[in-house]
Amino acid sequence: MDIHDLDPETFLEEVHSFEFWFQAVEGYLSGTTWGHRPDAVETPMSEPDRDRLITVLCNYCVGEAAALEGASGLIAIAPNRLAKVFLSTQVADEGRHLEVFYHRMRDLGVGDPEREVERRASPSLQTFRRRLLELVASRDWEAAIFAQNVILESLEFAVFQDHARTADPVTADVLRGVVKDERRHIGFGENELGRRVATAPHIRARIGQIKNELDHLVLEALEETTRHLGMPRTDHERLGRAYLESVERLGLVG
Amino acid sequence: MSDLTSAAAEPADAAEPATSARDGERQRFILEDTGFDEVPKKYRRFYRKWKGPGDRLAPNEVICPVCKVVIRSSRTLLPGDRVYCMPCMSRLVVVRNDATGELEGLVAY
Repeated sequence: MDIHDLDPETFLEEVHSFEFWFQAVEGYLSGTTWGHRPDAVETPMSEPDRDRLITVLCNYCVGEAAALEGASGLIAIAPNRLAKVFLSTQVADEGRHLEVFYHRMRDLGVGDPEREVERRASPSLQTFRRRLLELVASRDWEAAIFAQNVILESLEFAVFQDHARTADPVTADVLRGVVKDERRHIGFGENELGRRVATAPHIRARIGQIKNELDHLVLEALEETTRHLGMPRTDHERLGRAYLESVERLGLVG
Repeated sequence: MSDLTSAAAEPADAAEPATSARDGERQRFILEDTGFDEVPKKYRRFYRKWKGPGDRLAPNEVICPVCKVVIRSSRTLLPGDRVYCMPCMSRLVVVRNDATGELEGLVAY
């Protein structure tokens, strides 16, 4: 049978299920240890490179912690069963991401990763995390999903993908696994909001406000991260494009 | 029946409609697993990784605009067709880009 012949309801039921998630992650996580293949080898790294990587990982941890806390809080206010089940799989993904990034820092010789995150993380990203959790606490479903699954996840998706191309073999392997999870998260966010905006266009103005308030925080963190990774400014703009394309598809430009 | 492996190795010019489609009938493709591992095994043959700007699409393929995975169908795609991107859970409608003449996926929320 051609998958594309499924009726839309059957498709949505399938892809939002734990059964789908189990079989999907089994494909790329089976046999990995702390998010990477056991045969991925450590390569020599200069002290400045190691230090920059630790700072980048600290920022990744703040983003993942925000998404973990956000997604778990959103389950309570999700409007239907499929969204609740999907978010529960996202919580598992985000918890795993946080764990593998912390573990990578320990691999790099960081004795107390939590303290290092507090010390090094981007203030913009920490402000974003606080605001996201306020939106969740205020039960603002559309605003919180936009902040978390569109702004945060799409920028993480772009940065992790790019970083995996230049990172050391172990970090690259960890990032590739995370990117595969992020694909589901960005898709859920855009499609959920797209359906809501289609049936209640007034939501668009509210999401536009959230965009204006919050996206610069993540874009600033993106700029900081790309600088640590030694990428030129043109790359920073290119990485923001996936997010801007998503915003454009949702009709939130302007 | 032709094999998609050969179609993917030497894809038709994406700007030209497939001969069979022009004749009003769709070419059928046997889809094989390309190593795409982000969906359950039974669905893997319907997707492949996009290899970047030099990657030319076969007549039964379209890129998901949300997550940039290549979506594959068992038949030639035409404007108006509906396809699913399982890796990012999107439903898409196939459209022809007037400027480039190429097929694209438009998200159908």
